[in-house]
Amino acid sequence: MISTTPIAVTGMGAISAIGNNVAANFQSLVDSKPGIAPIQRLDTCHRGRLLAGEIPMSNAELYDRLGLSGETAYTRSTLLGLLAATEAVEHAGGLNDGCRIGLVSATTVGGMDATEQYYDDYLISGEHRHFIPTHPCGYAAEQIARHLGISDFVTTISTACSSAANAIMLGARMIRAGLLDRALVGGTDCLSRFTINGFQSLMIYSDSHCRPFDDHRNGLNLGEAAAYLLLEHPDVAGRCGRKPLAYLTGYGNANDAFHQTASSEDGEGAYLAMLQALNVAGLAPAEIDYVNAHGTATPNNDLAEGTALLRIFGSEYGLPPFSSTKAFTGHTLAAAGAIEAVFSVLSLRHQVIFPNLNFEQPIASLGIVPQTEPVNKIIKHVLSNSFGFGGNCSTLLFSKSDD
Amino acid sequence: MSELTQELKARIISQLNLEDLTVEDLDDNTPLFGDGLGLDSIDALELIVMLDKSYGIKLSDPKEGRKVFETVQTMADFIEANRK
Amino acid sequence: MTKPLYIHGSGCISIQPTFEEGYFFDSVNSYTQNPVPALDPDYKAFIPALQLRRMNKSMRMSLFAAKAAMQQAGVSHVHAVVTGSGLGCLQDSERFVQNLRAEEGQSLNPTPFIQSTHNMAAAALALSLGCKGYNMTYVNNANSFESALLDTMIYLSEHPSATLLLGGVDELGERTAKFWDLAGYLKKDGTAIPTPVSGQTTHGEVVAEGAAFFVVSATAGNDYWGTIRAVETRLHPADPAQWISDFLQRNGLTGKSIHAVMLGCNGDSRYDSIYWTISSALFPAIPQIGFKHILGDYDTVAAASVFLATSILRHQRIPAILRLNSAAVDPIQRILIYSHRRGLNHSLILVEK
Repeated sequence: MISTTPIAVTGMGAISAIGNNVAANFQSLVDSKPGIAPIQRLDTCHRGRLLAGEIPMSNAELYDRLGLSGETAYTRSTLLGLLAATEAVEHAGGLNDGCRIGLVSATTVGGMDATEQYYDDYLISGEHRHFIPTHPCGYAAEQIARHLGISDFVTTISTACSSAANAIMLGARMIRAGLLDRALVGGTDCLSRFTINGFQSLMIYSDSHCRPFDDHRNGLNLGEAAAYLLLEHPDVAGRCGRKPLAYLTGYGNANDAFHQTASSEDGEGAYLAMLQALNVAGLAPAEIDYVNAHGTATPNNDLAEGTALLRIFGSEYGLPPFSSTKAFTGHTLAAAGAIEAVFSVLSLRHQVIFPNLNFEQPIASLGIVPQTEPVNKIIKHVLSNSFGFGGNCSTLLFSKSDD
Repeated sequence: MSELTQELKARIISQLNLEDLTVEDLDDNTPLFGDGLGLDSIDALELIVMLDKSYGIKLSDPKEGRKVFETVQTMADFIEANRK
Repeated sequence: MTKPLYIHGSGCISIQPTFEEGYFFDSVNSYTQNPVPALDPDYKAFIPALQLRRMNKSMRMSLFAAKAAMQQAGVSHVHAVVTGSGLGCLQDSERFVQNLRAEEGQSLNPTPFIQSTHNMAAAALALSLGCKGYNMTYVNNANSFESALLDTMIYLSEHPSATLLLGGVDELGERTAKFWDLAGYLKKDGTAIPTPVSGQTTHGEVVAEGAAFFVVSATAGNDYWGTIRAVETRLHPADPAQWISDFLQRNGLTGKSIHAVMLGCNGDSRYDSIYWTISSALFPAIPQIGFKHILGDYDTVAAASVFLATSILRHQRIPAILRLNSAAVDPIQRILIYSHRRGLNHSLILVEK
């Protein structure tokens, strides 16, 4: 019933607080150089104080970089998405050669950064009203599709922090179902007052650098990012002479069905998602060489995820090396599943485990210790977790390409 | 019931949208969370906001809320002890 | 490829009393306002007060419509929930923006932030049903429901014995409606609903809200209301008529295989002409049926159009108020639904008896 065709990843693009492209992101990871700092750019009363993974480019600079006319409205999420999507397509060697191509994007912020800014202004002045159509989540995908000439299939997913992982999953499933030959998949979310204040209202925004899986963790830092991957049917990649960077061989989505925002103590949703990913890939837990965890550093997530990891891998001795990279980039919400998919592929390409920063002491009830230094290792299979509000839990499984 | 507990009950009902409940229905000592009224962690956060906005008391750690919000009476006692 | 899916139960909330047992458009409510809010059923019939208190309109409508569908289908459990929503939970989004603009830096109420998350309706369903399976929300403007539908069909090809909840929901937001007005989306003149669609010369649409949910599976089971054979979407097809012909051909059909066509015309003279061009080119002699002129327009109104189509197939008649032409109604086995919104996000849904 479910095809077992490994899906080739032939291109990637990324922009985050630790780099404006994939190579720069990789360098920061192996140099252990995080991108979390007091907010500089966003016009919020928390500027200068609250820590976030902000991309040090203004919207005007992003417009310039993309060669876009200042008269057309592009939200920050769309601008970031355009950059990352363009990089992915160029990296892969282009899109349009008679193949059926789809775009599956993801976002939670959508155009809210413009809406929150012009919320009263729209009513008073016509100056910014050309931004009104940019509010919906689906707007970015439309702009990216037009920019890249993708017309066969376009859609957008929004499932909070698991959004991009789900977008990647849908792309693979559509290729396996024979509906597409190629899928550009990923997500984008910029920083906004909406999300910053939202997470503060939940009392899970840390006032210091986030500490994933540490016993004294006290919340997340937000970040902004965009990342896209080009997925192809391996036969299509082969015909076009494209060497896969890695393969997407497994995926899973499950619902915790416990609470609107909190995860269940036994990490049931996370456990089910990881189990599904392993089953789809036909792999046993012992074959996983690295887990790129969701690891937001909230008290709740890391405990639930840690518990789920122990359930999957049996015990702390059975745990492969794992790390959360959110202390580098911040929690990039809808983009997280994609930027971390890029990191998972980089891990396979370079045979390196990225470090979990700011860790000192394991969670008392779990005793699990993440990888705290970058280290070279033989890595054949990587699990990447992304868990969102609404109990939405997703896991992707990437496998090494021998090319 | 005291004026404060009366006021608190009205605030709880309105803040948490407990439309079917009246002030008379809510006992001073009924557990608000778990088996009593059945409120959850989001309600706890809302009550923290209410404590700040209506009584000027800031709780910086949501875990502090557990003891404070056990019942209407424990809330009233906490407010009496800490209000500005 | 995908196989047809079977609809075993449905529930629909809209600006017409579609949630009433036996209602089939023999009379419709008229409205003169724009936007038009959906009618509220007695939500407490399906949702306990402790859950209902926090739910925004999207969540209430979704839960009600989904549970009504499950009741009709005679199921108490589903394996997965797949939804679409163009704008998600608008009212809570607006509330939180207003709060943060007024009080950023002070204590902000978390509830509207949590509730504003686009997948909250699907999450509420998972919680209510204890469903730990696949749970997805599509937010691609006027193709949101169609994307959910396609995903559901793919899911059923992967899990042939599953039963799913599939739905589409959108709610109105007060400030957002003002923005739409400023952006020139809204129709401003005269009667809003029913919207005159033929010979229309004015711009704008009548916006509304609603939810429609379906219990679906890959097999006929004991009973079913209709099947969905195929769905396709295109952001902006260069030649819609060619696309539709190709779509029919891909499904082994021609224009003559279609017994009735449902068209997403909404009275906006800027964008409706394509429907008349398509109908006269491909479907000149069959009944043409409208739905937006009595349900209003919103990103996921396509879900309500499926609800309508299956009702028409079941009853084998087309209520007069829905008819756009007077072609004879022969036995209807197959309905093609074609819609777009403001010239973008075109979709085709093929529904069969």
